[in-house]
Amino acid sequence: MSARRLRAIVLRVIVEIRRDRPSLALLFIAPVLVTGLLTFILRDTTTPDVHVAIATEGTGPAAGQVVTRLATTLADAGMTVTVAASPEASRSAVRDGTATVAIVLPANLAAGKDAQIALVTQGLDPAGDGAQIQAVSSAIVGSLASSLGAVLPAVVHETVYGTPSEDPMAPFAPAIVAFFLYFFVYLLTGVSFLRERTGGTLERLMATPVTRGEIVTGYTLGFGFFAMLQVAILLVWALGTVHVPAIGPLPDFSLGLGIAVAGSPLLAFAAVLLLALGAVSLGIFLSTFARTELQVIQFIPVVLVPQFLLSGVLFSVGSLPAVLQPLVRLMPLAYAVDALREIFIRGADLSVASLQVDLAVLAVIAVLFAAVASRTIRRDVV
Amino acid sequence: MMNSNPASAAAPGAREPAIRAVGLVKRFGAVTAVNGMTFDLAPGRIFGLLGPNGSGKTTLIRLLTGMTRATEGSATVLDVRMPDRANLARIGYMTQGDGVYPSLTVAENAQFFAAAYGVEGTSQVADVLRLVDLADRSKTIAGMLSGGQRRRLSLACALVHRPSVLFLDEPTVGVDPLLRVQFWGHFRTLADAGTTIVVSSHVMDEADRCDELLFVRAGRVIARGTGTTLRAEAGTGDLEAAFLRFAGEPEAAA
Repeated sequence: MSARRLRAIVLRVIVEIRRDRPSLALLFIAPVLVTGLLTFILRDTTTPDVHVAIATEGTGPAAGQVVTRLATTLADAGMTVTVAASPEASRSAVRDGTATVAIVLPANLAAGKDAQIALVTQGLDPAGDGAQIQAVSSAIVGSLASSLGAVLPAVVHETVYGTPSEDPMAPFAPAIVAFFLYFFVYLLTGVSFLRERTGGTLERLMATPVTRGEIVTGYTLGFGFFAMLQVAILLVWALGTVHVPAIGPLPDFSLGLGIAVAGSPLLAFAAVLLLALGAVSLGIFLSTFARTELQVIQFIPVVLVPQFLLSGVLFSVGSLPAVLQPLVRLMPLAYAVDALREIFIRGADLSVASLQVDLAVLAVIAVLFAAVASRTIRRDVV
Repeated sequence: MMNSNPASAAAPGAREPAIRAVGLVKRFGAVTAVNGMTFDLAPGRIFGLLGPNGSGKTTLIRLLTGMTRATEGSATVLDVRMPDRANLARIGYMTQGDGVYPSLTVAENAQFFAAAYGVEGTSQVADVLRLVDLADRSKTIAGMLSGGQRRRLSLACALVHRPSVLFLDEPTVGVDPLLRVQFWGHFRTLADAGTTIVVSSHVMDEADRCDELLFVRAGRVIARGTGTTLRAEAGTGDLEAAFLRFAGEPEAAA
């Protein structure tokens, strides 16, 4: 190994990266941004606002007394508590969103370990539900231990929509489908459009009567076609269950993830497609600021990772630090994740207002980004 | 400067100029790439823009094609002030880079640019591929072509809509001598058919193939005329030496 040659290579590498200003900036900024954001989210996770609706299946003054005592304890713990007239009333409070958790006490509460207390949540946001259940459970245990003694009843988690215990993947599937689609469509478009810029074909195309709007719309429809195929394949794979019978020595197996979907797969398809069209424009837009394919990839930690952290994929949006809440409203992914949860878990159709909002925002973002992308097309043509 | 008013050297004849530049200036921050150019170029002729790298040839072509806006002055092509998107349908532009899609075939590239220029039907695509001698390669992926073949495809894409005015930015860079002769043959054929051609080059031995030359240096046209008249004016038999005399530089600096 020649020290002289080695030195030449080391210096060349350093000089090259030093001159690539955007890469250099991202090299230092991106890890600081991502680790900072993650630490902030984990440390400053706010205790969620818990609205409890308590009901009991029991009758008589004793049951009423337990309810009252529990309500006091929960209120002392900073929760908003209402006492529902019946178990059914408490469940519907959760369904329509006036309560976040319903506590249904059984008639045989005194029976100790044979009794089951039901905690009911909506089931749309697994991380958020988890935080609610945890907060309520610890308060219940404290309260009931004093009134019932050593033998505590079992606490079971139920959801209004979907069944949480059956398939651990089900609550996460909508977010994961949306995120990875967004990621791949962005990457494909960003790199392709960068090639159009650096390969000289964009310059050439701009020397024809083709308009910028035609270029962006053409790209959106062209990539939209592949995004459509990608969404279709992904959804068939995620939702499908094709049973392949045993052939010869091969055992039988199932193809597809078999994730349950309560709503219309076609509606899910439409929601994800809107997200993908926005990702096409995002790729065109960001390719303006990139000179190499490496830089397109380096935008991922700056543009996509924050969306991943703030859109409820891993962390519940409700428990994010208050400072970050306004940012969530700017994330296209947040609307797509929410829309897919509504469709997958709640079985929402187009008459549900929150789903209408999600889809409308996704459509507006797609159009807005296309307009911005078309304005940036000339920028790089020197 | 010996030829201080290049505009006066325009070709004789009553025909409207195909290209007109009036006081064209283009600045990029502190750099002035084109520093006051005024000239008329008559239709159906081949004009050579000659000058060293960085003298402003490409910026001038980009101003004339409307790819960039003039800081001052105006550029008019076929009686239409540039930039004008619709007028681009009558203008061909072969960029310095090949500017073809490497994953499309030869025919697909030509068809794509034909569509971009608004050409209907497929006969023009077949014609232009025959012209640049790529008809038998029409199904070849552009990325698999040799450098010279890719250059010919690039020319085909600039010609597919049969433009009245054709700008060629250093079309023969990296092209072998045989192909270079073919290229100039094409240019002459097109000019004879009425196309106005502006070719930029820093290769002086191509200059004599042009009907007229514009010597460009530091963003200005420093001399204009045929190869013969420019040599005579400079009092030298060598065009390179003539350029240096007009540029006011000692020949030893060449």
